[in-house]
Amino acid sequence: MALGLFFVVPQLAMARFAFQNVPVALLDRGRLLEGWSLDRLGQALGEPALWEATRTSVVLAVLAIALNLALLLPLAVLAEIRAPHLRPVLTAITLLPWVIPPIALVVGVAATFRAVAPWFLASPLSLVPFYALWAMPFTYRALDAGLRSIHARTLVEAARSLGASWPTVLLRVLAPNLSASVVAACGLTAAAVLGEFAFASLLLKETLPTYLVNYQRSAPQAGMALALAVMVLTALALGAVVQLLRRRGLGVSTTGI
Amino acid sequence: MTDLRLVTTTGSASSLDADPVGGSSPEGSRTPEPGRPGRAARARRRWARPRGSTLALLPFLAFVGVFLLWPTLTVVVQSVTPDGAVGTQALMRAISGPYRSAFQNSLTLAAATAVLGGVLGLLLALAVRGMSRPAWLRPALDAWCSVASQLGGVPLAFAFVAALGTQGALTKLLAAVGIDLVGSGFSLSTLTGLTVVYLYFQVPLMFLVVMPAVTGLRESWREAATLMGAGPVRYWRTVAAPILLPSTLGGMLLLFINAFSAYATAWVLNSSGQLVPLQIRFVLQGNVITGEQDLGYALVTWTVALLLASLGLMSLLQRRAARWSRG
Repeated sequence: MALGLFFVVPQLAMARFAFQNVPVALLDRGRLLEGWSLDRLGQALGEPALWEATRTSVVLAVLAIALNLALLLPLAVLAEIRAPHLRPVLTAITLLPWVIPPIALVVGVAATFRAVAPWFLASPLSLVPFYALWAMPFTYRALDAGLRSIHARTLVEAARSLGASWPTVLLRVLAPNLSASVVAACGLTAAAVLGEFAFASLLLKETLPTYLVNYQRSAPQAGMALALAVMVLTALALGAVVQLLRRRGLGVSTTGI
Repeated sequence: MTDLRLVTTTGSASSLDADPVGGSSPEGSRTPEPGRPGRAARARRRWARPRGSTLALLPFLAFVGVFLLWPTLTVVVQSVTPDGAVGTQALMRAISGPYRSAFQNSLTLAAATAVLGGVLGLLLALAVRGMSRPAWLRPALDAWCSVASQLGGVPLAFAFVAALGTQGALTKLLAAVGIDLVGSGFSLSTLTGLTVVYLYFQVPLMFLVVMPAVTGLRESWREAATLMGAGPVRYWRTVAAPILLPSTLGGMLLLFINAFSAYATAWVLNSSGQLVPLQIRFVLQGNVITGEQDLGYALVTWTVALLLASLGLMSLLQRRAARWSRG
């Protein structure tokens, strides 16, 4: 119960600060219901820079997801149906991002790419490969759990023995069965990308989290409203992913371990 | 000559089947023999399979190598060769003076949130295990924990500022009932404050990690222990605790890694704080002098080494824990 309170109070306080136009110092029991309005959120949403930052973040998320799936989906399928010896290798490699956190990698990236390929870091899109890397633990585990739960190997052998060609197997047998775990992988990747701050901030890229920090300094209440909105949206998206996994009976760990 | 070649090819084929990762067959055998294309092709196909799967790993390995390993190794190498010669000056400097306290603070913060979060998460899991009553409770809690464990970062820090900052609503509420948070020296930018904030994502993470082990505790074991005359204390000490221990310790190590490398939350709450990630930023941004750069590299090297050791230990514990876990 106490733990439950601990998890709800910060958001409530955030909502109060954002939407109630009464300073804390003047707050008492009688004025608890005064001055509530959603104007601040509207003010925050009216900023063109917000949409610019959001667009960058969304593009980054989409590209990171695409890159991640392109790299990991074939390998996960291969490891499940053809080459089980690849699985421990993949598991170990996809754990590496835990060991090298963004703040550590950004130092290395500045030390190497800045010297070798300065043009690369100039574009905000240079974040894509790194974001794909940090989402790898989540993506790979979601895909792997999905493949295991549908008994991909049996399915593929059955399809092959019924005369299906490899493209048919991949497109009409595996793809439909894997859709849930692919969606889950996308959701987890998107959440990781939309929340990443260290890398974007140190490479001076304006993504949603870095924008939030800057904006909150100039407009405290509207910034708070925006942060709350971002938080609620992320939570809803992640919740939907978890719900989807549960309905499909997939025991996917969202912890990335 | 041709026969000899084919024998070696098939020979390497069988050895590749046994150990397909070591795909080091002679390149020449890939071209089909003009005289007997059929047999050569068959032999090629036989070992093309495992080799092909290993080849498929190459683009992925190249990707990880270029974007993750290359930068990291560069930093590590630079940190052990400051000024172009092998030496440990930079590494020693990174754990002395002001940086020593940064490491102490970071370690304290990570350890405190790992132990506190670990205990609370484990208690939560144990409490939920017994409850099957509201059918929605378990799934809702699972979902909520999955979400909350990912919620770190900028918005979370803002939320705590609104609640427990000097002008926070909760601070005001507590002051109204006679608890003076600000006066007692509590502030979100101190280690205590950061610990409270970190627990917000550490507890749910721990819950998710230990839940499989907790559900793996079978009711029949307790019954068996009771039948053999063991009281609850004896049961917990000799049956439940040894089974839960590996996953609990493994979970705590994960929390430790998670807290040590957390950056955004700490930065928003206290951007000039004496924590390792913040110091790395400080060194990286503020200084272009070569010596200072080496210092930043050394800080990163220590961090990566520390996290690597924790992760290695954690995987060992997780492997032990997996024997009794139930998803």
